[in-house]
Amino acid sequence: MDLALSHPWVLLFSPLALLSFFGKHLPALRYSSLSILPFDPLSFLLFTLLKLTGAGVILLLLIALSGPYLKEQTVQRLGQGAEIVILLDRSASMNENFAGRYFGGAAKESKIAIARDLLGDFIKRRKDDFFGMISFSTAPIHVMPLTQDKTATLAAIDATRSRGRGVTNIAPGLAMALDYFQERPLTGSRVILLVSDGAARIDLETQSTLAQLFHQYKVMLYWVYLRDDRSLPLDSKPANANETTSPEYFLHQFFQSIGIPYKAFEAQNPEALQNVIDEIGRLENKPIQYTEKIARQSLAEYCYLLAISGILILLFARYFEIKSERLLFESNSFSNR
Amino acid sequence: MLEEFHYQLPWRTASAHPGRHAGKHSGGEHEFHGHAPLIARPEAHNIDIHASLLDPFGQFMVRTFRQRGLISVNIIADLSASMSFHGKMKTLARFTELTAYSAYRSGDHFGFFGCGQDLLPDFHLPPRWYKGGAAELVDRLGQFDPDDSHCRSLLSIAEHCPRHRSLIFLVSDFHFPLHETAEIFDSLLKHDVIPVVLWYPQEYRNLPEWGLVRLADPETGKDRQLLMRPTLKRKIIATFEDRQERLKHLFTRYGRQAFFLDDTFQADQLTHYFYEQ
Repeated sequence: MDLALSHPWVLLFSPLALLSFFGKHLPALRYSSLSILPFDPLSFLLFTLLKLTGAGVILLLLIALSGPYLKEQTVQRLGQGAEIVILLDRSASMNENFAGRYFGGAAKESKIAIARDLLGDFIKRRKDDFFGMISFSTAPIHVMPLTQDKTATLAAIDATRSRGRGVTNIAPGLAMALDYFQERPLTGSRVILLVSDGAARIDLETQSTLAQLFHQYKVMLYWVYLRDDRSLPLDSKPANANETTSPEYFLHQFFQSIGIPYKAFEAQNPEALQNVIDEIGRLENKPIQYTEKIARQSLAEYCYLLAISGILILLFARYFEIKSERLLFESNSFSNR
Repeated sequence: MLEEFHYQLPWRTASAHPGRHAGKHSGGEHEFHGHAPLIARPEAHNIDIHASLLDPFGQFMVRTFRQRGLISVNIIADLSASMSFHGKMKTLARFTELTAYSAYRSGDHFGFFGCGQDLLPDFHLPPRWYKGGAAELVDRLGQFDPDDSHCRSLLSIAEHCPRHRSLIFLVSDFHFPLHETAEIFDSLLKHDVIPVVLWYPQEYRNLPEWGLVRLADPETGKDRQLLMRPTLKRKIIATFEDRQERLKHLFTRYGRQAFFLDDTFQADQLTHYFYEQ
């Protein structure tokens, strides 16, 4: 419990609480002689309590005005989901539709637009996942670190509306995605969700580095391959064994060779892509431990509530006050008022 | 028409002034006292033939009488701040008016001593014969708002009182300590002092059953907050009744019962009071 005040100087006025001990709002009625009246402990107690209540109300109002709050807290939670880094291809070809045609930046059927919509849906459906995002084309762009803030993730996905440029250069993207898990405690499944419509050659040295990192960080890989009609399926061995013509096949081979949980999905049309995303959703529902940040909470409301209840008590007492001699001497009982 | 009450006293006045009360001095021809030889009392018109014949020495006997004299009726009023409660001064004014008028009607002297911290000159009437009562004093009394913190001059009032035994109404709420009450009565032993206890039912019986109230003591200036409730009210009534018993007990030691005065008082009650003694 970390308590703090936003305007502590307001508490300088706290001596005002003593007012309730000095103020005499109840008019003193003339009596003949108090010395013969018996001392009444209950009255003394009651009026002391009322004064304390008054002082308490003033103090509570001052505390409320000074803005008390609970500091930001982090809480360990256990949820279902994974840490998912979305590695989104932003190369020029993503602007085309599945038939391989370009219809302009605002086209609804472009691969990137469909991927964007489906990823948006996917993120909305997932509850406890962490999402990070990287868009890559020739070079990767660090868009957003791993976070549970869905609004931010959706905004990051939405920010891919600008037209994609460049070629699909996959190795630096993967490296950066793996980098996201560096120095993070292993609290659940880690997934890289690679969404691309093509691949590029990765040299051997880089391949071994990547493989090592995949193992070190225990990351799973899902590759959503947005295959248009001109490309070949991942499994079909190219007739010409040259990486330049079908890098996807070789990349697929490389991923399979790493020895990490790897799954490739070929999405040839929007429906297939939808299925792919559903399947990932089903797969990655393992327990995940994460720390949640709870924003600072204002406690002023509780102070006001307490103060109001105190004021109500005082008002109630005020109703019973006898304020004039006429009331004191002409009423035999309170109900005659 | 003003009410009046009649007072008769179980003692003889030493006053030489003629009046309607039994006196100590011989003289007059109303109250038979005894017989005396003519030689001792050369009053031939009072020769009692029957007594002379019966006298073994054959002397002429004369009847002797005692003269009737007047007394002085005094009110010693406690004018400390506690008497400012509610309408106590009004009741005191009315009581004074009745007493002054009754004294006037009986041909007696009336005196008034208002005692605050000191004897208050504005409320001091030396014992004289005031024709028609003391209307002016009564008016001032009714409007007076006493604020003296103590009625200390009561303790030394004896020096201002008449030399001869007189009738004194000591009007007070007797809210001061009992030993002071006893001291005052000790100093006034020579006189016939009737304690008049001026209590209002509002002080205890008519207090409200419920409520929060702040009561101020006009003498000390202190105040106390009370949660009025039936238990506390019963406690206060019991306190007052207990005090009443103690006062009665004390007054009996000095020979007179207390007369309890409140705002409903009638002159006839006083007449009855004197008959009952």
